[in-house]
Amino acid sequence: MPLLVLENLHVRVGSLEIVKGVSLEIDAGEVHLLFGPNGSGKSTLLRAIMGLPSYVVSRGRILFDGRDVSALRAHERARLGIALMHQNPRPVSVRFGQLVAEMSRRYGQRPDVIGKLGLDGLLDRELFRGFSGGEMKRAELALVLLQRPRLALLDEPDSGVDLPSLRVVGSVINELASGGVAVLLVTHTGLIAEHIERVRRTHVMVGGRLVASGDLHEILERLREGGYDAFA
Amino acid sequence: MRSPSDPEAAGWGGGVAAEGAAARYLQKNVDVIRLVLAKGLSERGVVIKRMDEAAGDEGVKRLSWRLLQERPGASTGVFIYVPPRTKLSAPLSACFAVDKGAQEVHNVVAIGEGSSVTLFSTCVSAGEGVSHSGFTEIYLGEGAELDLVMIHGWTKRTEVTAETAVLAGEGARFNELYLAFRSPANLTSRVKVVAGRGASALASTLYVAGGGSSTLETHVELAEGASAEVISRVVVARGAAVRQPITIEAKGEGARGHIECRSLKLDPRSTVETVPALRSLHGEAQLTHEAAIGKISQEELEYLTSKGFSEDEAVALLVRGFLELGVRSLPPALKPQVEALLNLISRSARG
Repeated sequence: MPLLVLENLHVRVGSLEIVKGVSLEIDAGEVHLLFGPNGSGKSTLLRAIMGLPSYVVSRGRILFDGRDVSALRAHERARLGIALMHQNPRPVSVRFGQLVAEMSRRYGQRPDVIGKLGLDGLLDRELFRGFSGGEMKRAELALVLLQRPRLALLDEPDSGVDLPSLRVVGSVINELASGGVAVLLVTHTGLIAEHIERVRRTHVMVGGRLVASGDLHEILERLREGGYDAFA
Repeated sequence: MRSPSDPEAAGWGGGVAAEGAAARYLQKNVDVIRLVLAKGLSERGVVIKRMDEAAGDEGVKRLSWRLLQERPGASTGVFIYVPPRTKLSAPLSACFAVDKGAQEVHNVVAIGEGSSVTLFSTCVSAGEGVSHSGFTEIYLGEGAELDLVMIHGWTKRTEVTAETAVLAGEGARFNELYLAFRSPANLTSRVKVVAGRGASALASTLYVAGGGSSTLETHVELAEGASAEVISRVVVARGAAVRQPITIEAKGEGARGHIECRSLKLDPRSTVETVPALRSLHGEAQLTHEAAIGKISQEELEYLTSKGFSEDEAVALLVRGFLELGVRSLPPALKPQVEALLNLISRSARG
């Protein structure tokens, strides 16, 4: 049984329908990449799976481990094992170290990942305030890991980061997948792809719809040749 | 052994007490129920006395009611003296508790030149219809350093007046953290700091008002080369009204001052008014301020719920963070107490 099943999912933000009938299945331990131009609905899709309140499922279902979670609130989904790495989070009025401590307690996870990702020096700082692009991505990734997720939704982990950070992000994703975590990763550039050992499937989203799904290299080839117009 | 009427043992202050204090003074209503000075400190010239017993001393008379207007009713309280060039590693602790009638206290603290002291002061009430008035005069000699952590926790129908005046000598350092985790019916707090040449002052206020009416006034005067930072973080809820006039007055060349006031409204009924004022009496002074009043951000709430926190838990975390991020400097000896209080506030914010 797939860990995540999206059945004809439609998502509204305010009165605007952004995601228009997406169906998708991801098994445990699989990494799926999601490409798409700006405004195509990729981030909206991840936020709707997470259950953020502004992203309303107007039609369709989200099944997680066989259970319909469409009506569950974000914190309830997080506790079931769904974790979202936010794209460019704004500062949050919490000391990073305090949040790490609270999440370690909640999920029974030792905060070793903080040292491993080189984040010790940020623990006394307000979360994300003045963080560099790489620090922000590594901090978000650390928080995802502290959740001990079964499904990791990663929103552009490769944007705005330098090469060393990109390698770190890639190795963490590989560790997650080898530990049986399903990963759905949104990327604009595909830069992260070369650091991921095994991409199970790659999807392209345009105008709120999945317009192609297939092998990473085939998709990349089509993108290089004709851009997103090639999928129109 | 603790007496059954011991407010610290009864957990009036949220169970917060300065463990391992070098000196401890505990007053309940008008009675002094504990006065202890650690072994060896008396020989080093450190004095801690009941104010009514110290008041007759010539030295104490010279310091009494010099910085504040005299209140004839304030006869109890504590006198603390630390001689010059004395570094105390453990904090001094004073606790005032009231559960009956009116408590009116007068404290005098004198820290000799070049000395370094941490003072942990707790004021708490239990029961209803009581009042506390505290008048504290603090003298810092040349180059002296005082870290003062004041914790207040009140029951709802308490009336509170607190006045603190500080005279900081040349090159002295005054670092105050005032943390109130339960607000009374009415509170008027006035802090006045006169910072001498090259002295520095950091006055931080973390105030959580869950009702009632409060005025928190701070006035700092800066001499030549002196600096001050006044930081305030106020949380208002359940129809509370808080007013905060804060003034920094630069009287000397090269004085620097900064005011930062931030307030968080947890409900629409509560009101908060911050009035930062800068007065420069010298052309070379640098004075700045920033102020913001807001509510909990929906975006921050959503972020935390995506990490597995319910909305109530997320609000508690954000309140705690809002307050904690206002603490610029904390004496290591008192970090556990302040941590414990922030946890207490965090729990109560969850309702």
